[in-house]
This record gives sequence, structure tokens and C-alpha cells, in this order.
Amino acid sequence: MAAKAFWPVAIALILAAIGLTQLLANEYYFFAAYVVLQFVVLATAWNILGGYTGYVNFGSAAFFAVGAYCSVALIKAFDAPLPVLILAAGAVSGLIGLATGYLTLRLKGVYFAIATLALAIVLETFITNWDFVGGASGTFVLRPKEVWLFDSYIKFLFAVMMVLAVAAVGIARSIERSKLGRGLAAIRDDEVAAECMGVPTLRLKLLATTISGTLMGVAGAPYPYYVTYLDPLSAFNLSYAVNAIAMPMIGGTMTWLGPVVGALLLGTAQQVATVTISSELNLLIVGVMLVGFVILAPEGIVGLVRKTIRRGRRR
Amino acid sequence: MTRTGGERIRAWALAGALIVATIGAAAWGPGARAADPIRVGFGMALTGGLAAAGKAALLAMEIWAQDTNDAGGLLGREVALVYYDDQSNPANVPGIYTKLLSIDQVDLVVSGYGTNLIAPAMPIMMSRDLVFMGLFGLAVNEQFDYDNYFQIMPAGPDPRLDWSRGFFSLAETLAPKPKTLAIVGADAEFSRNAMIGARAHAEAAALEIVYDRTYPPATVDYSPIVRAIQATKPNLVYVASYPPDSVGILRAAKEIGLKARMFGGGMVGLQYASIQTKLGPMLNGIVNYDFWVPEPTLNFPGINEFLAKYQAVAGDAGVDPLGYYLPPYAYSYVQVLGQAVEATQSLDHKILGAYIHGHEFDTVVGKVEFGANGEWARTRVLLVQFQGIEDKSLEQFTRPGSRVVLYPEEWVSGTLDYPYAE
Repeated sequence: MAAKAFWPVAIALILAAIGLTQLLANEYYFFAAYVVLQFVVLATAWNILGGYTGYVNFGSAAFFAVGAYCSVALIKAFDAPLPVLILAAGAVSGLIGLATGYLTLRLKGVYFAIATLALAIVLETFITNWDFVGGASGTFVLRPKEVWLFDSYIKFLFAVMMVLAVAAVGIARSIERSKLGRGLAAIRDDEVAAECMGVPTLRLKLLATTISGTLMGVAGAPYPYYVTYLDPLSAFNLSYAVNAIAMPMIGGTMTWLGPVVGALLLGTAQQVATVTISSELNLLIVGVMLVGFVILAPEGIVGLVRKTIRRGRRR
Repeated sequence: MTRTGGERIRAWALAGALIVATIGAAAWGPGARAADPIRVGFGMALTGGLAAAGKAALLAMEIWAQDTNDAGGLLGREVALVYYDDQSNPANVPGIYTKLLSIDQVDLVVSGYGTNLIAPAMPIMMSRDLVFMGLFGLAVNEQFDYDNYFQIMPAGPDPRLDWSRGFFSLAETLAPKPKTLAIVGADAEFSRNAMIGARAHAEAAALEIVYDRTYPPATVDYSPIVRAIQATKPNLVYVASYPPDSVGILRAAKEIGLKARMFGGGMVGLQYASIQTKLGPMLNGIVNYDFWVPEPTLNFPGINEFLAKYQAVAGDAGVDPLGYYLPPYAYSYVQVLGQAVEATQSLDHKILGAYIHGHEFDTVVGKVEFGANGEWARTRVLLVQFQGIEDKSLEQFTRPGSRVVLYPEEWVSGTLDYPYAE
């Protein structure tokens, strides 16, 4: 997308989403769309570290859950409003991302992936034993009864998630086209060579883990209001980590558009499947699509489309 | 030229796969439904961690629908169940119930199985003032305080305390009176709640708590935990565990030779036939909670007929072959709703809610009356003891006397055999 066109389109999307909440009465579509947009944020966040930098993070669910539990803590302590929850969740998850990066970025490949998985277990154990946020028993979160401009809270949450998704994609796109993005790509292609060429690899990787963690935490911040009952098992659900990886892989990891396409496609397919076919097949969709795309289109849908266009032009 | 062709084929193959997936998803959905039936909508765990329970509950509900239709339906209309798999994942629940109400336009709604799958649906029910029947949720309404929520598990008006009331009431009758208590449970929702109740009872009975620990749900070796309990020499051991832990703790207790006068309390899983037949005589002496057992005192009208129908199809459905624990209650919670509809001749939720609050219902699990918070007005968490288990055959668990009821007094069918081991 041309640089000038991106932000006007993004703003138009947000306005359209808000307009939709005023026109469409059926709430089901907002519940479903919220989940899809949440995955847009998660997939985009994962791709900043996994796609741009080449470091596979299996701990996405942990960052998401930290965001969600940060919200729970602030709601219980101060009854804080949603914008504050989002900012705080982003800050805390970003700090955890930074710390995780500092401790684990000496590891590479599968070892780094295992370390992020371990992080999820450590954080889940911590939350399980923190009684203030419900501990292992979980906790109830009551939605505010009224919200300005919207006639239901889920419509408000949908609009908020649309803003977050657009912001996350905008950040990913900016990174991709910046000096930082080129540095991350150099690390992905050959870290030693990048270091030799003067790329400050550790600093860039720390930036990537921080931004990625922040966005994942931000995605989790409104979740307690969406689900109204939060327990560690569901907040740290492995499906978040699996989807955060599968969606960019299917869409394509090289560009900001890949995770968006993957999340929209897979997220929508899952939402449709949940209310149509049995869920054994629903879960199968993720697996089959992932295997299919890895074999048929290793660079994802975006990569395949680009290749096809390039070949078309050559002819 | 060849490579270009290959790319093209790949692109078409992918496009084809996507189209087939989308069309398939739409085509395999629930078929066209007649406009007439009264539709009861719900999400149920048919896959994921709670699937075993969810599938058994669904089977019981299908039997209710069949029974109701055979008897002429409700308000002269057939009953149809409209359900989706929540995959044991709370995140799916809000979407499922919104679809049920706004697109499928069901007339009545009931919950899926378990606290964390009931709670996410509550705000939706509250915003539409709908009667919502809950299936085995623990203290869900404590926070929501919703007038039209009713829960079928017989935990009682104060679920946390009522859950272990039987264990501690019985402990008081032991001679000599026990003085020390060990409490152990998983780091998970049910166990934590049950342990809170156990502590409160211990305090009231002036029992000294000599061991009070939780363990991570993924624990596989329970020997160190049981050894640590043994070292404190407790008179009573209260366990609040999930099915895999219950088996692990019980095996470890037998191997180590745990000595206590009463052992058990809140062990989930010992109610399931699959676990009973795995443990066999190891179960003897265990004192545990339950909701229904084949004892003469609990021979409610309709229960045997229901169980006969359930057991006839349970094998093919791959669910608990006896179905004593959850299925009768899954049948009952829709039975209550059906009786309310028939009695009021209405589908108006305000009228239904008021009726359910003010009346007693005859169900296959006995008479059910709801309190102000939607829980059973009086607890009927049974305390039972495994006695005379000789081997691992399934048949012996269908006989009266294999699990005698020790509490509440109204339903007692035997006497406590103690100590567990000395």
C-alpha cells in the first residue's frame, strides 16, 4: 500500500467500524469481529519478533495474559477506565518483553523458543498463586453498565479493538520500512554478518521483544471485559500462542500485511467453524491450513500473490 | 514455462482449498430447522478438557428432549436443542450465546458445563433479562447477583461451605474426637474454593490444621505430597482434587500406607465409572462427596428409567457408562425449565423466573427448590463411603451398598466404617 494511502485508509476503517456499531443491531457480529481483530493484534505483534527478526516466540499467550491480568489488578484496585488499562497493560508487558529479551536473546533457534515457553509457565504459576487477581480460582469482572456513544459494551470493545488493530498494524508497517526494520531483517538473514556490519543486534532485538510484548499485552487488556470471568487456564491458553504463530505463517511473515491476511482468514474461518461444524474439524482447519501453506506457499499468501504478480509482469 | 505453470497450479489449489473450506463450513452447519419447535440453546464442551463431562451432559439433554417430545412437547410444540461446541474455552462462550439469541433466536437458554463456561454468558443473559439455568457452576452468582440465574448442582446456598459440610459434620461424630487436619488440593478453581470451605469448618470445629498446601495441576508424582502429609500425622485428611490428581493421590496413599481416621472429602473423579473400575478395592474406606448414588434412599421417581435410557446409549457415545454423577442433573436442569414452561404456559422469561423462584420441582434427582441466589435452597452434597469393593468390575458399582450415604441425615443409607487406616 502506498505510504500516503495507509493512514487515511486506517482512519476510514476506524470510522467505518464506529459507524457499524451505530447501524448494526446484531451483537453477534461484534463478538466475532472482536476475536478476529484481537488476533490481528497478536499476529502482528508476534511477527515483529518472529517474522522480521527470525526469533520464534512460543510465549505469546503469556504476554496476552499479562495484559489481561494487569487489567484485572487495576480494575480491582482502582476501578481504572479502559484506556488506562490498555496503557498499563502495554507498559507492563513491554517491560516483561524487555526483561525476557535481555535474559534469553543469547539463545537462538529452538532454544530461544523453549525459553519463551518457559516464561509462559513461570508467569502462569505466578498468577495462579496471586490471590488478589483471583489466583487459581479465577475472578469475575463486571462490565460497566453504560458507555458513552455506544448502546452496548461489546460494540465499544469492538471499536476499541479496531483502533488497537489499526495501531498495531501501523506500528509494524512503520518498523518494516524504517532503519530498525532493515536492521531486524539483517539479523534474521545472518546475525553474525549483521553484527560485523555494525548493526547493534542486541539493542535491536531488545527493541523488537519490547514492542512485540507491548502489543501482545495491549491485545489482552480489554479481554477481561470481553469474557467477564478470567482464570489462568483460559488466559494462558495455548491456542493464543498457536494462532499467533500460525496466522503470520499462513499470511506471510515478511511484511506487515501477512499477519493481517492470516489473522483475518484463519480467525474468520475459526469463528465460522465454531458455530457451524464440529470443533474437531474446527481445530483441524488450523492444522490443515498451516501444513497446506507451508508446503504450497512457504512465504504465505502475500508471498505467493507477489510471486504470481511478478511472474505475470515478466510475461 | 514449467515453473510458471507450477505456481499457477499452487495458487489454484490454495484458492480451491479455501473455497471448499468455506462452503464446507457453511454446508455442514446445523440443517434447516422447522419454525415451530421451542428451541433450547446452549454451548457445551464437546472437545477440550471438559469434553467427557460435556458429551455426557448433552446425551442426557437429548434424552430429555426425546422424552418431552414423546409426551407431546411443551405448550403443544416440539422441543429442539440448538447447541454449539464451546471447546471448553470461555473465550468462545459470549459469541456462541449471542449467536443463539440473535441469529438462531432460541426461546430458552441453558448453560454449558462448569463455572468458567457459565460466567462469560452471564452479562448477555442479564442484559436481556433471560432465565439462565446453570450446570455445575460454583458460586457464579456471588458477583453477578442476577435474579434469573438458577443452578442445578446441589451445592446449596453457600456452595463453598456446603461442599465440605458433610465431611466435617461426620468428623465431629468420631470417637475419640479428631484434633488435627491436613488439607491438600490442586492450584485450580474448584480445589481452591473447596479448601476455603474446609478451612472455615476446621476453624469452627477447633481443629488444628497441620498441613495446608496446594500443588500445581500438572503434578504427576504425588508420593512426596502424601509423605509430607503422613509426616504431620493428621487425624483427618481433606483432599480437594481433580480426576487425575485424585487417582494419583489415592495410589500414593496406598503405596505409602497413609494413616488417617478419615480420608477424602472433595475428590473429583471418584464418581466416574472409568476411574472406579481402574482403582477397584483401593477405594474402600474413602469418604467422598457425591451427588447421586444407587442407594435405596435416593431412589427418586424417574431416575432409574432415565439411567436405563442413558446407559443403553452411553457405550456408543463413548461417555461414562453408568452416568450417576452429571447426567441426571443435566437432565434435571432442562426438566425444571420444561416444567416451568408447562406450568406457566408461557415463554416469557420474567414469568418463568418468578415461577422457578416460587416453586418446588419434581425431577429425576428429587425435589428441587431454588434459593434467592439461584442455588439449591438447601444443600444436598452427599458424603458417601466406598465399602465392600471386591474387584474392578463395573457391575458392583451399580449395586446398593458400594457407596453408602453418610450425610445428610435425610438420605443416610449406611454407617461410617473407620478408621481409614491406622
